Amino acid sequence: MIDDALAAFLQQGLAINIGTRNAALEPHAAYVPAATVEPGGTHLTVFVPVVAADEVVADLRDNGQAALVFARPEDDRACQVKGVFESVRLAGDDERQAVQIQYAGFMRQLDTIGTPGESTRQWVIWPCLAVRLRVTALYSQTPGPDAGAPLS
Amino acid sequence: MSVCLDTLTSCFQGLIPATLYTSAADGTPNAAYLSHVEYVDSTHVALSFQFFNKSRRNVAENPHALVRVVDPDTQQGWELRLRFVRSETAGPLFDRMALRIEAIASYCGMKGVFKLLAADVYEVVVVRKVPEQPGQPALVARRPPDAVFTMRALQELSARINRADGLGPLLDAILRGLDEIFGFSHSMILLPGEHPGTLVTIATHGYPGNGAGAEARFGEGITGVVAEAMKPIRISGLMRGMLYTYAARFRAEEKGWCPAERRIPLPGLANPESQLGVPLVVRGELVGVLCIESETPYRFHEDDRATVELLGAYLAIAIQNAMLREEDAVDEASTGPAPAAPAAMPAASREVMFYRGDECVMVDGEYLIRGLPAKVLWKVLKAHAAEGRTEFTNRELRLDKSLQLPEYKDNLETRLLLLRRRLEEKCPDIRLVPSGRGRFTLELRGGVALIERA
Repeated sequence: MIDDALAAFLQQGLAINIGTRNAALEPHAAYVPAATVEPGGTHLTVFVPVVAADEVVADLRDNGQAALVFARPEDDRACQVKGVFESVRLAGDDERQAVQIQYAGFMRQLDTIGTPGESTRQWVIWPCLAVRLRVTALYSQTPGPDAGAPLS
Repeated sequence: MSVCLDTLTSCFQGLIPATLYTSAADGTPNAAYLSHVEYVDSTHVALSFQFFNKSRRNVAENPHALVRVVDPDTQQGWELRLRFVRSETAGPLFDRMALRIEAIASYCGMKGVFKLLAADVYEVVVVRKVPEQPGQPALVARRPPDAVFTMRALQELSARINRADGLGPLLDAILRGLDEIFGFSHSMILLPGEHPGTLVTIATHGYPGNGAGAEARFGEGITGVVAEAMKPIRISGLMRGMLYTYAARFRAEEKGWCPAERRIPLPGLANPESQLGVPLVVRGELVGVLCIESETPYRFHEDDRATVELLGAYLAIAIQNAMLREEDAVDEASTGPAPAAPAAMPAASREVMFYRGDECVMVDGEYLIRGLPAKVLWKVLKAHAAEGRTEFTNRELRLDKSLQLPEYKDNLETRLLLLRRRLEEKCPDIRLVPSGRGRFTLELRGGVALIERA
């Protein structure tokens, strides 16, 4: 579902956030420092900092629905990935470097647009839970009249 | 709500994009980036609605929403749990949000395309810190807003304004005072131009050149949008939009899509990040526009905005009074020009060319000025060449039918000030020096060859 070009875009180090909702349809959210797309593009794993995971994971366990928004600050290219919950586990030390590389890429993006990235490095990005999702839909979210249109 | 929204105003400048989370009635969540969250009051915010999208359909079905913002000063993340209340398509809130979008769009040539359709108002039910985005002390040390300091600063600026003798010194006192007292190091004042719907830069501070004569059309850039709407605008994080605009403009000019114009570029910063534009209005009439800018992304805080807006009304009256005073001074001047013996012109060192059709003056092949100031300069130089005159009065200019001054509100003094400043910058060896109220002296430090073209 996610082709190679889109996978490369999603994994380059972007602003990533996950949204869920509870039984009362109240949204919850968390910052995601990194995401990895599995070969074939039907699943992806998102890394959610443990300090931010309680409500989001509770929602996922309850109803499985997730929405992820990816945005590249330097040109505002953005897309939304809808998915359903498959599993959650504590991320391993072997995954830590991949998370840090993507996070550093996001920091460089912030520097590019003149927003100081340095202080953002105080954000908590580890330890993380690795949340595996099955991709159900992709949408463009680049600002403009086509925002919200499905990505083929 | 445990945290007062009033303490989070830094988060609402659009410097770091916010994220909006909603859920459809069928339970499908949605996540989207937002360009701007607007502070409405201590319990409400508004989100801009520019395009029909899923988030908006969701809140129509299910009023629960969540917005996350980041404080640009500390990088602390904040979560605002919201409940949709209403959409506004008119009124002060809508106007404020629409103007901000319009100003940015105008820099990109997108005015009228990117526009606000509605301001969606939400009640803020809960505010809490985002745990994974903890803040740290502000990167830039700022003095907290202090009413006593502000009042003293206003008093000092007021004293400087009162001491100013004439329109030129007044404008310079305002801009220098904004820098020395308030720390606003780059500023400019534009007054209505000769042609309707235009502004002309009359005074600047903090830029390499004086920028006098630079023109802006109503609706273009922050000054033009402020003039058109007669409302203040504050923008943070402009860099990308500005670069895009300049690049687009240059490419369009290269292809010949934009006609080459004899317009002097505005003296603004090459990479402004923050701009604050305030209309100077007296009894509903636009006297001018004050624009302050900075290369710092979030330079103008709430207290700065409030102070400058407050100042705007006072400055407008001061500027209008100075203009009226100089106009009245005409009656105090002698009724005729002071005679002078013809003087031999020194050898020509400047070539001044007047294009009658365009009403434009070029000096040594370089554009100097057009319109009424161009005609005045030509008249003065011709009189000097023919009769050796150096003393002139505003009154004789007003009586000269060839200058075609309007009978009502001719703004002659403003045009003379503009001419003096253009000469200072581009041709300092030709000077028009005030020699009393309603009088001025032509001073030439070299010869001038006068050439007239159709």
